[in-house]
Amino acid sequence: MKGFIGEFEELVLLTIANMAKSAYGVAILNDISARTNRKLSIGALHSTLTRLEEKGYITSYLGEPTQERGGRRKRYFELTSEAIQALSDMKALRDELWAGSNLQFLKSK
Amino acid sequence: MPFNSPPKLALKILKWFSDGADLEDIIGDMEEMYFDQAESKSSFVAGLLFWRHTFSVITSYALRKRKRNASYSPFFYQNSITMIKNYFKIAIRNFSKHKFFTSLNIIGLALGMSVSLLALSISVAIYRSDDFHEKKDRVYQINTYVDKGDEDRTFGSTYHAVGYHIKERFPFVEDVLKIKSGFRPTVDHFGNNIGFHGYFSDESFFNLFSFNLVEGDPGTALEKPFSIVLTQSAANKLYRDDNPIGKTLETDYGSFTVTGVMADLKQTHLYFEVLTSFSTYEQLQDKLDLKNDWVNFRSNYVYVLLNESTSESTFDRSLSQMSQFVNSFHPEKTVELEIVALDEVVPRWNISDAIGIGWDVPSMLLFMFIGLLVLLPAIFNYINLSLARAIKRAKEVGIRKVVGAEKGHIRAQFIVETMLLALFALAGGVMIFVPMKEQFLDVVIAAEVLDTSFNFNQVTALIVFALTLGLLTGYFPAKFFSRLNPLLIMKGSISQGKVSISGLKKGLVVFQFFLSLVFIIGIATMARQYSYVLSANLGFEKENVLTVPFEGIDKQVALNELGKHPDVNSITAASSLPGVMVSEVNMATSNDIDTFQINQVFIGDQFVDMMKMRLKWEDGVSIEQSNNSLEMVIVNQEFLDQVRVFNTQKDSLLFTLESGKKCRVVGILEDLYFEPLSEVVTPLIFRHSLDKSNHALLSIKSDNVKQTIGELEMIWSDINQDVKFQSAFLDDEIADAYYFLEVQMKFFTYLSVLAITISCLGLLGMVSYSTENRIKEIAIRKILGASPKNLYYLLTKDFAYLILLSALIAIPFSYFFYDKLFLYFLIRHGLGLGVLEVVCGILFLFLVGFISIYWQASRVTRENPAGNLRYE
Repeated sequence: MKGFIGEFEELVLLTIANMAKSAYGVAILNDISARTNRKLSIGALHSTLTRLEEKGYITSYLGEPTQERGGRRKRYFELTSEAIQALSDMKALRDELWAGSNLQFLKSK
Repeated sequence: MPFNSPPKLALKILKWFSDGADLEDIIGDMEEMYFDQAESKSSFVAGLLFWRHTFSVITSYALRKRKRNASYSPFFYQNSITMIKNYFKIAIRNFSKHKFFTSLNIIGLALGMSVSLLALSISVAIYRSDDFHEKKDRVYQINTYVDKGDEDRTFGSTYHAVGYHIKERFPFVEDVLKIKSGFRPTVDHFGNNIGFHGYFSDESFFNLFSFNLVEGDPGTALEKPFSIVLTQSAANKLYRDDNPIGKTLETDYGSFTVTGVMADLKQTHLYFEVLTSFSTYEQLQDKLDLKNDWVNFRSNYVYVLLNESTSESTFDRSLSQMSQFVNSFHPEKTVELEIVALDEVVPRWNISDAIGIGWDVPSMLLFMFIGLLVLLPAIFNYINLSLARAIKRAKEVGIRKVVGAEKGHIRAQFIVETMLLALFALAGGVMIFVPMKEQFLDVVIAAEVLDTSFNFNQVTALIVFALTLGLLTGYFPAKFFSRLNPLLIMKGSISQGKVSISGLKKGLVVFQFFLSLVFIIGIATMARQYSYVLSANLGFEKENVLTVPFEGIDKQVALNELGKHPDVNSITAASSLPGVMVSEVNMATSNDIDTFQINQVFIGDQFVDMMKMRLKWEDGVSIEQSNNSLEMVIVNQEFLDQVRVFNTQKDSLLFTLESGKKCRVVGILEDLYFEPLSEVVTPLIFRHSLDKSNHALLSIKSDNVKQTIGELEMIWSDINQDVKFQSAFLDDEIADAYYFLEVQMKFFTYLSVLAITISCLGLLGMVSYSTENRIKEIAIRKILGASPKNLYYLLTKDFAYLILLSALIAIPFSYFFYDKLFLYFLIRHGLGLGVLEVVCGILFLFLVGFISIYWQASRVTRENPAGNLRYE
């Protein structure tokens, strides 16, 4: 398996995958905070995004200027095929481990 | 919207930290969140959150990565050889196209560099001292660190016993060298006394050091007591072409046998003319038991040669044990023995009682600082001149940028150009510096030991210096040009093209002219003192007085015979020449309690009359009438003033000399400057003694001086053929005593030529800068009917103010500096600052300044205005 994906990195990748074409900084941040109830700083998020981009799991492009951000452009992120492969590998591994174990899957309360 | 905007300060801090990295999306994210929060909560909470995010971004990896990306400049990897070749080509073309500016720059930098080059060259020589010894890696000097509680010092010397002790107890030491300085024999050489300075040294001297012994056996030359090794120049002084080996040398220490001749010293911290064996010292002194002397260490030096297998730390450990042993002799202080590798003995930061010349780092730094002081204005001038040409070069930069040059490219181009120019300036600087170096080294004591010829190290140091200078100097113009906006340039206007000149530049001009003026006034003042001291009334006759040193001739006979010559009016003798330093010092007391220092001069018959000295008061008793119990003396006014300080109960004309001799004053001399005017007038007594006089003084009246001297010489050699007749006129001798003024004047002349040239170059640069910028304005004014006179006024006005301002500062400064400080120390009884000199200095500077302004201004005003306006 190429590269190593951390827990938070996996979270970010999957969030981007969930948001289709509208994955940019604040949106990702809000989504993760809402889903996981974590407090995140924008610096930490962008650091992770930068690292993921370095590893080749995401690509980014700048969008059109928008009114609400003082004319500043948004940077949108997209998964690469390598990311999809890495996430799949990860899931396969987990499924395999789950299947082999005698754990019972619990729904969150 | 009612919301406030996000905290501006946080944004500013963030931008400052971002260093130009692109943060558009992140700041956008932060702002979006701010407005979200401000809407849902309050703008205060949103603000706090914004701050939190700001810090998280500042410390984040994302920012670091983006900064790194931003700093990637194509400069680093796209710079090919072709590009650099192109820079050189353009630089050379530019130099040859603007010959005027190029030569201004080269001359300015060369002048500015010259002093720094001298400092650098000497420093390199000092740092490379003692590099030539074959065993230098194993040779160490022992130093002594003494801590007395309130003060601690490191001495280059060490206790007498250390050398013996190390040799006996330390098995890993191959050889020990003990050197005692202070060997100063005087050799009687055909009637002349020649003094030498040197060391007492062990026979291991030539084992530890790789000095070249031209004649003699290095192993044994310094073995036996009273053997002596001469340097080649000392040997030449004594024996000329004869082989000195085996000759006997009679000195005041006893008679020595010459056992060796060594090459003159070069590049070493030692400084001597002669070496004698250490056993000589052991024999000569009988007060100390050297082998067990753990108390005295002054001027005793120990060098140690370690075995090849022994490391420095082993030796260090053994030495610290020895230090403890030494400490047992000195309970009141802490003593530590330290080792210094041979090639690190000079230069040192701070060392007491060092052997030889003892070059130290602080004085080297001071010298370099002076060099830098001269260099800095030249650098500023270069920058100013380059910026002045900005308008001409801007289009080139614009095109380069449009074609695709990045900031880094432009910067590299200008830096390469400056470095090239600095190399040219180095060539010019070397031409100035070589003759200056010779003069300078003549003045500096022991400088002949330094090797400042152009060897590999020196040349490397000079070239590295020039390149560094080019890099630093070129940086500012490079930065300026690389920042230009290509669009604006191509449109024909430079954003920085201000007509006015910044205050800093104005200050620079004022400072440079201030310095120049101070130096000019310095030369004039010095010249004034020089002519004054030569013509001043010193209180005695100095014209037409011939002086002849006796040098072992029968004095009375010589006086009698020379006096018979018809051209000799009168003849007398004295122990030291009037107008020259008096070397004999005595102590006197007038009340048997307080003693004070006096200078004494022994004189022959009729001295006072012949020298036409004025007596303020006389007793009618001649000083020749001294008897055994009472000596009659003549004194100067100062002596009486000194006596008056003490309460004399008895006769104030009586006093006692240190030897117990009673003296009586029989005459008081008035307004007498018997010593050079630079000296404080000290109490002086004249005692009658032909025996102790050294010079014959002849008052001569002759139509043909040469012939008279020739005849006198005949008479002289009839008396004693072995003594040379060396005559000189008293006024020449006095002029020689003021040689230091001549040196001083030379120094000032050099500095002022330097300062004036550099400041004129600076002014030229400034003027051309402002005229270049006003070319169109002047063209329009001309078309509208301005006369050349108006235009000159317009262009020179500002600069005239600056020069006037510098004169206003320089005059009071020079007055205090020269009149109150400098001249007071240099020449106490001089004339001070002359008004004429100051006025002439200012006029001269104005003239030079205005010529340089006029030169540039006339160029612009003469041009056809139509040509300048068609420019667009």
